[in-house]
Amino acid sequence: MISVADLLVNNRIPGNFFTPDVYVRGDLEVGLLENRQGDRLLAVPETLIQAIYSGLYKETGQANRLVLFNCGKWWGKSFYTRFCEQVTGYYSLPLADMPMVEFIQALQECWMAHGWGKIEMDQTYQQRGFLIVKIQNSAFARLAPQHNQPACHLEAGILASFFSQLTGKELGCIQTSCESMGADCNRFLLGLPKRLEPIETMVLNLDHDAIMQQLCA
Amino acid sequence: MHPQIAAVFDEAENRYLKPEELKLISQYVASMPERLDAYRSLRDRELEIVQAVADQLEAASPQESEETLERCLKNALLMLRYCALSLLVNDESLVERRFLAWVSPLAKVYDTKAIDAKLYRLLNQQLSKMLTAKQLSYLSPSLSLAQEALLSQSSTPQMVVSH
Repeated sequence: MISVADLLVNNRIPGNFFTPDVYVRGDLEVGLLENRQGDRLLAVPETLIQAIYSGLYKETGQANRLVLFNCGKWWGKSFYTRFCEQVTGYYSLPLADMPMVEFIQALQECWMAHGWGKIEMDQTYQQRGFLIVKIQNSAFARLAPQHNQPACHLEAGILASFFSQLTGKELGCIQTSCESMGADCNRFLLGLPKRLEPIETMVLNLDHDAIMQQLCA
Repeated sequence: MHPQIAAVFDEAENRYLKPEELKLISQYVASMPERLDAYRSLRDRELEIVQAVADQLEAASPQESEETLERCLKNALLMLRYCALSLLVNDESLVERRFLAWVSPLAKVYDTKAIDAKLYRLLNQQLSKMLTAKQLSYLSPSLSLAQEALLSQSSTPQMVVSH
């Protein structure tokens, strides 16, 4: 016999923690943005993103990619911690007990609520030890300077760090297609750093499908 | 708040409201006592309604696992709560944003359409027994929106990542 009263936890059924109209709260008078827990949110204007790109390029030249990637790793580390706190707190479940579909969906909703675009996981190459993450409508790609190679080093760092912590293994992340180069979405390939090594040169002259073909040939 | 009424209040910033705009507001206000009554009934009798549905659903679906049935019932509880809220503020888009955006992808993955269809039939029977025709007419736009959206989507294979 199912008891409906037992299905409620503290008299509630958790829904979408990251519903944008509930998650993001603003106070026009004082000009502050907060999330529903009262943590401060920052609205990052386009000019600032552009300035970060151009400033870093001027200061560090070619190394700007590495700097952005490492910044992303830091960001991803705290993002993972915060995300897990929010999710486990709201759903009253330890992370290990949370079904993976729900975890991923919460991540997608969280990503969207923060205005970072639409994120999706593609597990076609899971058996080969690779996870593909697709991101659409990324402001980091839209505002990136036009180059002949993928530009979302910050997001690559975030993803590397997020999934390394989630899986408990050190993972690398390389972007294989980029909206800034006219691709339909940004694709990121996650896997063990050693296995990703050969791709670093491939991204310069091969598209995503060709890279995957070579990698899994 | 209903987007149309919210828009009327925005307009009132610049000028006095036209008769038809005031009519919209007075219609909503006039429907308020009934909406509040319906909301109170749903709130106070939530467990009773859904428990009745659960008992019948369990009896009608002996082959289904308890886990699946519980998942569907939880979604139904959530649906009823958001529909009740949407009845109160007269805004169905709330169901879309807060309920469907979260539950439809999950229902799709877990592929529970067949059970959901049974469940909604039982739930709607319970609701029509408990609410007046008028109250039901306030609830049904959001309720049908939610149910139809969940029943009309096609299923996808379950994701297989593990922690």
